Amino acid sequence: MFISIFNVQIMTALLNTFLRPTLWLGLACCTTFSVCIADGNAVDKIYHPYVDALEQELEWRTIYQDNQPGAKDHRQLHRFSYGRAFGDRWFGEIYLTGENSEDTSFKLEAYEIEAKWQITEQGEYWSDWGLLIELEKEAHENIWEFSTGILVEKEWGRWSGTANLLLTHEWGSDIEDEVESSAALQVRYRLSRWFEPALEFYSGEDTQAIGPVFMGNINTGTRQSLHWEAGMIFGLTEESANNTVRLLIEYEF
Amino acid sequence: MALSLVLFGSHAAFAATPVIKIKIQDHLFFPEIIEIPAYTKVKLLINNLDPTAEEFESYELNREKIISGNRKAIIFIGPLPPGEYPFFGEFYPKTAQGKVVVVEQ
Repeated sequence: MFISIFNVQIMTALLNTFLRPTLWLGLACCTTFSVCIADGNAVDKIYHPYVDALEQELEWRTIYQDNQPGAKDHRQLHRFSYGRAFGDRWFGEIYLTGENSEDTSFKLEAYEIEAKWQITEQGEYWSDWGLLIELEKEAHENIWEFSTGILVEKEWGRWSGTANLLLTHEWGSDIEDEVESSAALQVRYRLSRWFEPALEFYSGEDTQAIGPVFMGNINTGTRQSLHWEAGMIFGLTEESANNTVRLLIEYEF
Repeated sequence: MALSLVLFGSHAAFAATPVIKIKIQDHLFFPEIIEIPAYTKVKLLINNLDPTAEEFESYELNREKIISGNRKAIIFIGPLPPGEYPFFGEFYPKTAQGKVVVVEQ
């Protein structure tokens, strides 16, 4: 009993006194300095640190980008995934990633498995915390990629702020070993369940980009819904793609 | 000394969070109207007495949580400004309905 209370005290103390400044320090570092990310475009979806027990989902998400130095023009990445909750704290997902561009037709690029851990109960502390773990293998090359990082969300009334701060290690015979980092930030206004406007910022080795994103949920039955996201992200630096369109459709059941 | 103060302070804050007990029975919430003070974090302790799972859902409260059959779950809400915040059970939305009423104290 004493140990249990003591643990709660320590956890609360850590969250209140250490993690809060750490979060702001992390966000400041990621937005102030040029952090790097797995080669190419850092634009992806923003992960929230929550798990909905019993949930399963099918997802398609894509990005389309143009005019990024060193990358194929009119590049499209498509990711198809299936995910499900394991208990009320873990969510696992498997992905197939395909790519096509002006020069190449559509082909399978990579496989990926991913796990998300909801660390804290939503609303219990100053902010909500989760952990993301990903392992990816290129389909036609000996390139592996392991990513891990924190997911943080803070609610202010109808506003929500989310940060994804990730470290990635790439290795294999077809790539030089390296460790990279990435940051993705989102500020979202919960206008209605069908329509929520947001602003997203992405930072990486070849990308510094910002832009508006819109999202919402359409209820299709008892515990069934369609979640959609659509956004246009604009490059802030010469290395970034001028424009990146990102779309996501997720069937949750 | 500093750590002791931090621990004491956090324990005081933890202990101060009001707890409200709710039960789910025959796909209904009891009580269905919950009154809480404005600008105060509150812990809802929900006991599902039905053998089937239910999901506490509220867009207005920004909460969504599964409560398995014959199990308990905790949901933290607030601090909230005065107003009414409806919630419902996703599995039995026609019967399982309620609202949180936040009042100025």
